[in-house]
Amino acid sequence: MSIYILPILFLLLIIYCCFKRINTYDHFVKGAKGAITLVVDIFPFIASILIAVALLRVSGITTFLGKALSPLFNVLGIPTELCELVLLRPFTGSGSYGILENIFTTYGADSYISRCACVIMGCSETIFYVATVYISQTKVKKLLYAIPVALACSLVGTILACLVCKII
Amino acid sequence: MLFSIFVLLVTNPSAVLSEMIGASTDALKLCIELCAIYAVWLGIMQLVEASGLAEKLAKLLRPLIKKIFRVEDKETQKIIAMNVSANMLGLGNAATPMGIRAMQALDDKSGKANFAMITLIVINATSIQLLPTTVIGLRQACGSTNPADIIFPTLLVTFFTTALGIFLVHTIDRIINKKRRKS
Repeated sequence: MSIYILPILFLLLIIYCCFKRINTYDHFVKGAKGAITLVVDIFPFIASILIAVALLRVSGITTFLGKALSPLFNVLGIPTELCELVLLRPFTGSGSYGILENIFTTYGADSYISRCACVIMGCSETIFYVATVYISQTKVKKLLYAIPVALACSLVGTILACLVCKII
Repeated sequence: MLFSIFVLLVTNPSAVLSEMIGASTDALKLCIELCAIYAVWLGIMQLVEASGLAEKLAKLLRPLIKKIFRVEDKETQKIIAMNVSANMLGLGNAATPMGIRAMQALDDKSGKANFAMITLIVINATSIQLLPTTVIGLRQACGSTNPADIIFPTLLVTFFTTALGIFLVHTIDRIINKKRRKS
Protein backbone atom coordinates (compact mmCIF):
# COMPACT_ATOMS: atom_id res chain seq x y z
CA MET A 1 0.00 0.00 0.00
CA SER A 2 2.58 2.53 1.12
CA ILE A 3 4.71 1.95 -1.99
CA TYR A 4 2.02 3.65 -4.09
CA ILE A 5 1.80 6.82 -2.02
CA LEU A 6 4.91 8.64 -3.25
CA PRO A 7 4.58 7.86 -7.00
CA ILE A 8 0.95 8.95 -6.91
CA LEU A 9 1.83 12.15 -5.06
CA PHE A 10 4.53 12.94 -7.65
CA LEU A 11 2.12 12.28 -10.50
CA LEU A 12 -0.52 14.53 -8.96
CA LEU A 13 2.06 17.26 -8.38
CA ILE A 14 3.20 17.25 -12.01
CA ILE A 15 -0.38 17.21 -13.29
CA TYR A 16 -1.17 20.10 -10.96
CA CYS A 17 1.84 22.03 -12.29
CA CYS A 18 0.74 21.47 -15.89
CA PHE A 19 -2.72 22.59 -14.94
CA LYS A 20 -1.25 25.76 -13.42
CA ARG A 21 0.82 26.31 -16.59
CA ILE A 22 4.16 26.19 -14.87
CA ASN A 23 7.31 25.25 -16.72
CA THR A 24 7.88 21.98 -14.83
CA TYR A 25 11.26 21.13 -16.31
CA ASP A 26 12.87 24.55 -15.72
CA HIS A 27 11.71 24.68 -12.13
CA PHE A 28 12.90 21.16 -11.38
CA VAL A 29 16.33 21.95 -12.79
CA LYS A 30 16.51 25.14 -10.77
CA GLY A 31 15.74 23.28 -7.57
CA ALA A 32 18.06 20.36 -8.28
CA LYS A 33 20.93 22.75 -8.91
CA GLY A 34 20.80 23.81 -5.27
CA ALA A 35 21.70 20.29 -4.15
CA ILE A 36 25.37 20.60 -5.13
CA THR A 37 26.07 23.81 -3.22
CA LEU A 38 24.10 22.58 -0.23
CA VAL A 39 26.08 19.36 0.02
CA VAL A 40 29.40 21.17 -0.41
CA ASP A 41 28.39 23.50 2.41
CA ILE A 42 27.42 20.78 4.86
CA PHE A 43 30.17 18.24 4.06
CA PRO A 44 32.72 19.48 6.66
CA PHE A 45 30.08 19.28 9.40
CA ILE A 46 28.99 15.77 8.44
CA ALA A 47 32.62 14.63 8.23
CA SER A 48 33.45 16.00 11.69
CA ILE A 49 30.52 14.38 13.42
CA LEU A 50 31.07 11.03 11.71
CA ILE A 51 34.73 11.07 12.75
CA ALA A 52 33.78 11.77 16.35
CA VAL A 53 31.23 8.95 16.34
CA ALA A 54 33.65 6.49 14.74
CA LEU A 55 36.26 7.23 17.40
CA LEU A 56 33.68 6.75 20.14
CA ARG A 57 32.67 3.38 18.78
CA VAL A 58 36.12 2.02 18.04
CA SER A 59 37.50 3.05 21.41
CA GLY A 60 34.80 0.90 22.99
CA ILE A 61 33.43 3.78 25.01
CA THR A 62 29.88 3.18 23.80
CA THR A 63 29.94 -0.54 24.64
CA PHE A 64 31.43 0.29 28.01
CA LEU A 65 28.78 2.95 28.65
CA GLY A 66 26.09 0.53 27.53
CA LYS A 67 27.25 -2.00 30.11
CA ALA A 68 27.70 0.59 32.82
CA LEU A 69 24.29 2.15 32.23
CA SER A 70 22.30 -1.04 31.75
CA PRO A 71 21.21 -1.29 35.43
CA LEU A 72 19.90 2.26 35.19
CA PHE A 73 18.15 1.44 31.91
CA ASN A 74 16.65 -1.68 33.45
CA VAL A 75 15.14 0.40 36.24
CA LEU A 76 13.51 2.58 33.57
CA GLY A 77 12.14 -0.52 31.86
CA ILE A 78 14.56 -0.53 28.94
CA PRO A 79 15.91 -4.02 28.17
CA THR A 80 19.70 -4.45 28.30
CA GLU A 81 19.71 -5.66 24.69
CA LEU A 82 18.65 -2.21 23.52
CA CYS A 83 21.30 -0.17 25.36
CA GLU A 84 23.66 0.19 22.42
CA LEU A 85 20.85 1.30 20.12
CA VAL A 86 19.59 3.85 22.63
CA LEU A 87 23.08 5.27 23.16
CA LEU A 88 24.07 5.52 19.50
CA ARG A 89 20.74 6.61 18.07
CA PRO A 90 21.26 10.36 18.79
CA PHE A 91 24.57 10.30 16.91
CA THR A 92 24.29 8.20 13.81
CA GLY A 93 21.46 7.28 11.47
CA SER A 94 23.17 4.65 9.35
CA GLY A 95 24.91 3.21 12.42
CA SER A 96 21.66 2.77 14.30
CA TYR A 97 20.04 1.10 11.28
CA GLY A 98 22.97 -1.34 11.34
CA ILE A 99 22.30 -2.09 15.02
CA LEU A 100 18.58 -2.44 14.29
CA GLU A 101 19.25 -5.04 11.62
CA ASN A 102 21.55 -6.82 14.03
CA ILE A 103 18.78 -6.92 16.63
CA PHE A 104 16.35 -8.33 14.03
CA THR A 105 18.66 -11.17 13.08
CA THR A 106 19.66 -11.98 16.67
CA TYR A 107 16.25 -11.89 18.37
CA GLY A 108 13.90 -12.38 15.39
CA ALA A 109 12.01 -9.58 13.67
CA ASP A 110 8.75 -10.26 15.55
CA SER A 111 10.18 -10.45 19.07
CA TYR A 112 9.43 -7.94 21.81
CA ILE A 113 12.99 -6.58 21.65
CA SER A 114 12.73 -5.98 17.91
CA ARG A 115 9.36 -4.28 18.14
CA CYS A 116 10.67 -2.01 20.89
CA ALA A 117 13.69 -1.18 18.75
CA CYS A 118 11.39 -0.27 15.82
CA VAL A 119 9.32 2.12 17.89
CA ILE A 120 12.45 3.68 19.39
CA MET A 121 13.78 4.26 15.89
CA GLY A 122 10.47 5.76 14.83
CA CYS A 123 10.13 8.23 17.68
CA SER A 124 13.72 9.46 17.85
CA GLU A 125 16.14 11.16 15.53
CA THR A 126 19.88 11.53 15.10
CA ILE A 127 19.73 14.59 17.33
CA PHE A 128 23.39 15.66 17.18
CA TYR A 129 23.52 15.15 13.44
CA VAL A 130 20.33 17.13 12.82
CA ALA A 131 21.43 19.94 15.14
CA THR A 132 24.89 20.18 13.54
CA VAL A 133 23.62 20.17 9.97
CA TYR A 134 20.69 22.50 10.60
CA ILE A 135 22.70 25.25 12.23
CA SER A 136 25.76 24.75 10.00
CA GLN A 137 24.66 27.55 7.66
CA THR A 138 23.83 30.07 10.38
CA LYS A 139 25.84 32.19 12.78
CA VAL A 140 24.53 30.30 15.79
CA LYS A 141 27.17 29.02 18.18
CA LYS A 142 25.05 28.43 21.27
CA LEU A 143 22.06 26.14 21.12
CA LEU A 144 21.05 26.89 24.73
CA TYR A 145 18.57 24.28 25.94
CA ALA A 146 17.71 22.70 22.57
CA ILE A 147 19.85 19.56 22.95
CA PRO A 148 18.93 18.72 26.58
CA VAL A 149 15.23 19.06 25.81
CA ALA A 150 15.55 16.94 22.66
CA LEU A 151 17.48 14.25 24.53
CA ALA A 152 15.00 14.25 27.42
CA CYS A 153 12.13 13.78 24.96
CA SER A 154 13.95 10.93 23.27
CA LEU A 155 14.53 9.21 26.60
CA VAL A 156 10.88 9.55 27.57
CA GLY A 157 10.00 8.22 24.12
CA THR A 158 12.27 5.23 24.62
CA ILE A 159 10.74 4.38 28.00
CA LEU A 160 7.25 4.80 26.55
CA ALA A 161 8.16 2.64 23.56
CA CYS A 162 9.16 -0.24 25.82
CA LEU A 163 5.97 0.18 27.82
CA VAL A 164 3.63 0.44 24.84
CA CYS A 165 5.18 -2.59 23.13
CA LYS A 166 4.49 -4.67 26.25
CA ILE A 167 0.80 -3.80 26.10
CA ILE A 168 0.14 -3.84 22.36
CA MET B 1 36.47 13.00 20.84
CA LEU B 2 39.52 13.90 22.92
CA PHE B 3 38.63 11.22 25.44
CA SER B 4 38.17 8.51 22.80
CA ILE B 5 41.55 9.30 21.23
CA PHE B 6 43.07 9.04 24.69
CA VAL B 7 41.50 5.61 25.24
CA LEU B 8 42.60 4.42 21.81
CA LEU B 9 46.14 5.56 22.52
CA VAL B 10 46.25 2.88 25.20
CA THR B 11 44.27 0.13 23.50
CA ASN B 12 44.86 0.44 19.78
CA PRO B 13 47.00 3.40 18.65
CA SER B 14 47.24 2.32 15.02
CA ALA B 15 43.47 2.58 14.63
CA VAL B 16 43.22 6.32 15.32
CA LEU B 17 44.17 7.75 11.94
CA SER B 18 42.72 4.92 9.87
CA GLU B 19 39.40 5.22 11.71
CA MET B 20 39.31 8.99 11.22
CA ILE B 21 40.01 8.72 7.51
CA GLY B 22 37.54 5.85 7.22
CA ALA B 23 34.83 7.95 8.84
CA SER B 24 35.67 10.90 6.62
CA THR B 25 35.39 8.63 3.57
CA ASP B 26 32.00 7.52 4.84
CA ALA B 27 31.04 11.18 5.17
CA LEU B 28 32.04 11.84 1.56
CA LYS B 29 30.08 8.80 0.36
CA LEU B 30 27.11 9.92 2.39
CA CYS B 31 27.37 13.41 0.91
CA ILE B 32 27.41 12.08 -2.63
CA GLU B 33 24.34 9.99 -1.84
CA LEU B 34 22.73 12.97 -0.15
CA CYS B 35 23.53 15.15 -3.15
CA ALA B 36 21.61 12.76 -5.39
CA ILE B 37 18.71 12.56 -2.95
CA TYR B 38 18.62 16.33 -2.41
CA ALA B 39 18.68 16.95 -6.17
CA VAL B 40 15.47 14.96 -6.55
CA TRP B 41 13.80 16.43 -3.48
CA LEU B 42 14.87 20.02 -4.05
CA GLY B 43 13.62 19.72 -7.61
CA ILE B 44 10.27 18.48 -6.38
CA MET B 45 10.16 21.08 -3.61
CA GLN B 46 10.79 23.78 -6.19
CA LEU B 47 7.74 22.51 -8.08
CA VAL B 48 5.72 22.49 -4.87
CA GLU B 49 6.75 26.07 -4.23
CA ALA B 50 6.29 27.34 -7.78
CA SER B 51 2.86 25.76 -8.17
CA GLY B 52 1.62 27.58 -5.10
CA LEU B 53 1.01 24.35 -3.18
CA ALA B 54 3.52 25.38 -0.53
CA GLU B 55 1.54 28.55 -0.02
CA LYS B 56 -1.64 26.53 0.49
CA LEU B 57 0.08 24.13 2.86
CA ALA B 58 1.48 27.02 4.85
CA LYS B 59 -1.94 28.64 5.04
CA LEU B 60 -3.33 25.39 6.40
CA LEU B 61 -0.62 25.05 9.02
CA ARG B 62 -0.22 28.78 9.71
CA PRO B 63 -2.30 28.98 12.90
CA LEU B 64 -0.38 26.03 14.32
CA ILE B 65 3.04 27.34 13.27
CA LYS B 66 2.24 30.79 14.64
CA LYS B 67 1.37 29.30 18.01
CA ILE B 68 4.22 26.80 18.24
CA PHE B 69 7.07 28.77 16.65
CA ARG B 70 5.84 32.33 17.23
CA VAL B 71 6.98 33.28 13.74
CA GLU B 72 5.21 36.10 11.95
CA ASP B 73 7.16 36.23 8.69
CA LYS B 74 5.10 34.55 5.94
CA GLU B 75 8.06 33.31 3.89
CA THR B 76 9.60 31.62 6.95
CA GLN B 77 6.26 30.08 7.89
CA LYS B 78 6.11 28.54 4.42
CA ILE B 79 9.53 26.91 4.75
CA ILE B 80 8.75 25.61 8.23
CA ALA B 81 5.46 24.18 6.92
CA MET B 82 7.34 22.27 4.23
CA ASN B 83 9.93 21.00 6.71
CA VAL B 84 7.30 19.78 9.15
CA SER B 85 5.17 18.09 6.48
CA ALA B 86 8.19 16.33 4.94
CA ASN B 87 9.01 15.07 8.42
CA MET B 88 5.49 13.80 8.94
CA LEU B 89 5.68 11.76 5.75
CA GLY B 90 8.85 10.13 7.06
CA LEU B 91 10.99 11.85 4.42
CA GLY B 92 13.85 12.92 6.64
CA ASN B 93 16.08 13.53 3.64
CA ALA B 94 13.59 15.89 2.05
CA ALA B 95 13.10 17.71 5.34
CA THR B 96 16.80 18.51 5.85
CA PRO B 97 17.31 21.08 3.05
CA MET B 98 14.10 22.82 4.16
CA GLY B 99 15.28 22.77 7.75
CA ILE B 100 18.57 24.40 6.80
CA ARG B 101 16.73 27.10 4.86
CA ALA B 102 14.33 27.69 7.73
CA MET B 103 17.26 28.06 10.13
CA GLN B 104 18.89 30.60 7.83
CA ALA B 105 15.66 32.55 7.67
CA LEU B 106 15.29 32.47 11.46
CA ASP B 107 18.91 33.39 12.18
CA ASP B 108 19.17 36.78 13.89
CA LYS B 109 23.00 36.83 13.68
CA SER B 110 23.33 37.10 17.46
CA GLY B 111 25.23 33.82 17.71
CA LYS B 112 22.58 32.38 20.00
CA ALA B 113 19.70 30.16 19.02
CA ASN B 114 16.36 31.93 19.39
CA PHE B 115 13.08 30.44 20.50
CA ALA B 116 11.84 29.40 17.06
CA MET B 117 15.16 27.75 16.16
CA ILE B 118 15.19 25.71 19.36
CA THR B 119 11.60 24.64 18.74
CA LEU B 120 12.47 23.58 15.19
CA ILE B 121 15.39 21.46 16.40
CA VAL B 122 13.33 19.81 19.13
CA ILE B 123 10.46 19.06 16.75
CA ASN B 124 12.84 17.60 14.20
CA ALA B 125 14.55 15.59 16.93
CA THR B 126 11.34 14.00 18.13
CA SER B 127 10.35 13.51 14.47
CA ILE B 128 6.60 13.39 14.12
CA GLN B 129 6.44 10.46 11.74
CA LEU B 130 3.29 9.10 10.18
CA LEU B 131 4.96 6.40 8.11
CA PRO B 132 8.23 4.88 9.38
CA THR B 133 8.97 3.53 5.90
CA THR B 134 12.63 2.56 6.34
CA VAL B 135 12.04 0.62 9.55
CA ILE B 136 9.11 -1.28 8.04
CA GLY B 137 11.15 -2.13 4.95
CA LEU B 138 14.05 -3.39 7.04
CA ARG B 139 11.74 -5.45 9.24
CA GLN B 140 10.14 -7.03 6.20
CA ALA B 141 13.55 -7.91 4.81
CA CYS B 142 14.38 -9.70 8.07
CA GLY B 143 11.34 -11.98 7.79
CA SER B 144 8.69 -10.34 9.97
CA THR B 145 5.19 -11.77 9.55
CA ASN B 146 3.50 -8.44 10.09
CA PRO B 147 6.06 -5.66 9.59
CA ALA B 148 3.48 -2.87 9.72
CA ASP B 149 2.18 -3.66 13.22
CA ILE B 150 4.63 -1.18 14.72
CA ILE B 151 2.91 1.78 13.01
CA PHE B 152 0.33 2.31 15.73
CA PRO B 153 2.71 2.15 18.74
CA THR B 154 5.16 4.40 16.88
CA LEU B 155 2.42 6.94 16.18
CA LEU B 156 1.32 6.91 19.78
CA VAL B 157 4.81 7.43 21.19
CA THR B 158 5.97 9.93 18.57
CA PHE B 159 2.86 12.03 19.07
CA PHE B 160 3.44 12.11 22.80
CA THR B 161 7.15 12.97 22.61
CA THR B 162 6.53 15.77 20.12
CA ALA B 163 3.84 17.24 22.35
CA LEU B 164 6.16 16.90 25.33
CA GLY B 165 8.97 18.62 23.41
CA ILE B 166 6.80 21.58 22.44
CA PHE B 167 5.49 21.83 26.01
CA LEU B 168 9.01 21.76 27.50
CA VAL B 169 10.38 24.40 25.13
CA HIS B 170 7.47 26.72 25.88
CA THR B 171 7.75 26.19 29.62
CA ILE B 172 11.50 26.81 29.71
CA ASP B 173 11.05 29.93 27.59
CA ARG B 174 8.42 31.21 30.01
CA ILE B 175 10.70 30.60 33.01
CA ILE B 176 13.62 32.39 31.33
CA ASN B 177 11.42 35.35 30.45
CA LYS B 178 10.17 35.58 34.03
CA LYS B 179 13.70 35.62 35.40
CA ARG B 180 14.73 38.28 32.94
CA ARG B 181 11.86 40.50 33.94
CA LYS B 182 12.76 40.17 37.62
CA SER B 183 16.42 41.04 37.24
